[in-house]
Amino acid sequence: MSDALVIEAVRKTITVDCVVEEAFRVFTTDMISWWPIGSHSIHGNEVKEILFEEREGGEVYEVTAEGKKGYWGSVLSWEPPTRVVLAWNILEREAVPTEVEVRFTAEREKTRVDLEHRGWEAVEEDGSAKRDNYDTGWGHVLGLYEARLG
Amino acid sequence: MSTNAHPLDALGDPTRRQLFELLRRGPQSVGELAAQLPVSRPAVSQHLRVLESAGLVTHERVRTRHLYELNGNGVVELRAWVDGFWDEALARFKAAAETKGEAS
Repeated sequence: MSDALVIEAVRKTITVDCVVEEAFRVFTTDMISWWPIGSHSIHGNEVKEILFEEREGGEVYEVTAEGKKGYWGSVLSWEPPTRVVLAWNILEREAVPTEVEVRFTAEREKTRVDLEHRGWEAVEEDGSAKRDNYDTGWGHVLGLYEARLG
Repeated sequence: MSTNAHPLDALGDPTRRQLFELLRRGPQSVGELAAQLPVSRPAVSQHLRVLESAGLVTHERVRTRHLYELNGNGVVELRAWVDGFWDEALARFKAAAETKGEAS
């Protein structure tokens, strides 16, 4: 464990002019209608569908026209129509996912959406752990190399 | 004076995100990176230049090897990129939800 490092969560709030059930549905199972797949997916514009398994432990993944899949994350909490929490892989090969929590609150006929994207510390620790392993690995190889020369 | 790419734009490309993630494991050469991705070495070099001009990546010569590595650990840059991403994504979500809401 390194020093207690705090990287502030990303927080966003918007109000959407539709009822809470509709906001929740569009955000989750109808993600394909708004997610910028061209720039923010594994297969870019080849992506035809985003599958969102509606249960705790369910997976979220993209599927191309040829049936290739790309894993995005999984569902940690599924509480329609008010809250969903996802374990989210921002980078495709990331070992430690970040967490995205989205809350939907009815405000008369509208819906307030609060999004929090957190867990950056874990990503950082994972990255430094990998880097340490890598350094150790190279130290070992170079040590052998030098021993051989010496 | 070079024109610098913005970190948010630099990471808005799947191949560059993969390179960024591979470099989180430690410094690597262009050849090593290219071997792990379905793109050519020249393409990898070009993507690395974009990441470098955005300040995300640096390179140095170690003995005979030319190694690329993350500038810092990259997490702060990653977080800033995601912050900007959600502004864009939520604006799109709002438009989609309001259109669908009207239709139903």
